[in-house]
Amino acid sequence: MIAGLGALGRLDAGSAFAGATVTVAAGALVGWWRARRAEGDGAGEAAPARAGHEQAPPYVSLIEALPDPLLVIAANEPDDLTGRRFILANPAARELLRIQAEVGLLVTAIRDPEVLEAVDEALFGALPAEALYEVGGAQERVLKAMALPLGSSADGARLALLVLRDETDARRAERTRADFLANASHELRTPLASLSGFIETLRGHARTDEAARDKFLAIMQAQAERMSRLIDDLLSLSRIELNEHIAPEGEVDFGLAIMDVVDSLGPLAREKGVRLDVDLPAPGVAVGPGDRDQIVQVIQNLVDNALKYSPPGGSIRISLQTDQTAEAATAARSAGSARLSLLTPDHGPDVFAVIRVADSGLGLAREHLPRLTERFYRVEGQKSGDRPGTGLGLAIVKHIVNRHRGGLAVESVEGEGATFSAYFPQSVAVPAAAKPAVSAVTKAS
Amino acid sequence: MNEHIVKSFEDELNNLAAETARMGGLTEAQVADGLDAVLKRDSNLAEQVVARDEKLDVLEAEIERKSIRLIALRQPMANDLRRTVAAMKIASNLERCGDLAKNIAKRTLVLSEAEPIAPLTRSIERMGRLVQGRLKDVLDAYTAGDVERATLVWTRDDEVDEHYNSLFRELLTYMMADPRMITSCAHLLFVAKNLERIGDHATNIAEIIHYEITGEELASNTRPKTDALKS
Repeated sequence: MIAGLGALGRLDAGSAFAGATVTVAAGALVGWWRARRAEGDGAGEAAPARAGHEQAPPYVSLIEALPDPLLVIAANEPDDLTGRRFILANPAARELLRIQAEVGLLVTAIRDPEVLEAVDEALFGALPAEALYEVGGAQERVLKAMALPLGSSADGARLALLVLRDETDARRAERTRADFLANASHELRTPLASLSGFIETLRGHARTDEAARDKFLAIMQAQAERMSRLIDDLLSLSRIELNEHIAPEGEVDFGLAIMDVVDSLGPLAREKGVRLDVDLPAPGVAVGPGDRDQIVQVIQNLVDNALKYSPPGGSIRISLQTDQTAEAATAARSAGSARLSLLTPDHGPDVFAVIRVADSGLGLAREHLPRLTERFYRVEGQKSGDRPGTGLGLAIVKHIVNRHRGGLAVESVEGEGATFSAYFPQSVAVPAAAKPAVSAVTKAS
Repeated sequence: MNEHIVKSFEDELNNLAAETARMGGLTEAQVADGLDAVLKRDSNLAEQVVARDEKLDVLEAEIERKSIRLIALRQPMANDLRRTVAAMKIASNLERCGDLAKNIAKRTLVLSEAEPIAPLTRSIERMGRLVQGRLKDVLDAYTAGDVERATLVWTRDDEVDEHYNSLFRELLTYMMADPRMITSCAHLLFVAKNLERIGDHATNIAEIIHYEITGEELASNTRPKTDALKS
């Protein structure tokens, strides 16, 4: 059995070792549990490891501490398909499958037919089996489910061990590479074609025309810059996608992040004659778990977009609200607007910090809203000024927000402007004065 | 939930719910595979989906039979009656979802013969993932007995509709641009419509869960609704 699990696992020594430990420990645990039931304790529901009146052996805490989700499954009748129970689920399994109890019916935890089949094989076929288990939701995860037979307990129930191993990384890397190539080759072709066209002209009949040469070189530079922006964005999108399912470490003060962005984009806004209005709570109030650079990138992309679509003399309002529920964060701000949630967190804390960026541009038509975060999607017929976007800005925003287990919503009134709301889980605030203390206004002139 | 004096009655009720959850898992797999078959132009997978649909029909019949038997023999009241009826109604919604998934899979056979339309399949994939998420959420809510999560699925049905409307327009533009694409686009339109209806069934299930747990119906006029034909 040990060799079996080692071979199933990845080939590095550490992993094989961990796999072997799981099997040994689970086997020992089940032995202990079997002994306990044989003592006459097994009249009620099986509840190993939790009973206070008996000292649990050390491997119980070992199993509890294992990072891989693990379940021990018991069944009596092969025909009673819904009667499979899990009689042990370590915290990793309880977290992954969102189950409260340590014992219960197996189908209430896992419904995937392939995984259930693998479990059956281990239970009644006494053969190790594996299946791919895809957990949907905002952060999609792919796990390899390995079912191993554990024999039967004293009262005749068949036992099996189900170990889940996260393989999201490997699969995602594979897919991201394919996506990257497909996207990059398609989007880079246009500027590249224009570059080679101009080179041809410059080597041909425009060779001696000085005015034309200057003009062409300027266009070529703009195209080259566009290509480099595109590659930057594509690379950063790939990077973000790769660790999207890993929650960020560290703490971010959302207010300070907004001030950073306002400082860096202030000159550009002044140049365009657009006013930036900022409404923030006191520093230290809106704090949450997050990657500071990524949060700054979210705000930067949103404000940058707003700048692109704001007419001269317009204004952009950036606000930060704390202690909001998910409903409040996505609720419509004005009647008659088109509103859509672009990303909704699966589950999480009830308290969010909401960053809203509202522009005074033309707004977006309802039918464009669902596609805004699609890669390379640009709303047709809208001029984004002299700095054409890459069409990746909002895709990047969405993936970063998703990594932070937050949400994203858009609201738009055609002709009046669009508002983007990004909300992030907020750390429970220290009881302090939560009044807006900073209310900086950067004037246009 | 209060334990019943008669242990086997409680067992039967739990068993019914577990059976329904198992059927839910099978439906989820059918929808996922049906969608994958279209996206990857995999006609083998499509045939498997079509063949597996029968399993869902059998399961539905079985859940119905068990529910009726339980009502006849145990004459459940209040909470227990709602649990029994809910299992039966959810099973029939799931069976419909399975039919729609089968229909999606069938279209693969035609679609895989035509030229692929990359941007459109991307839009279909986005909508499909959204609907899959809804189905997963509502079944999670069912197994966990979580009214709030069910209500959340119910209030968010408009997102699926928005995706459908957007896709509808997109397909129209493709068809107007090139009449040779009309066959593929018409099939994709049905795929999108089927997905939208799977989303509707998820919403129905959410309503059933709400009634099962609280005993009250969700007022249908409080849900935001966008009219597909209006725009």
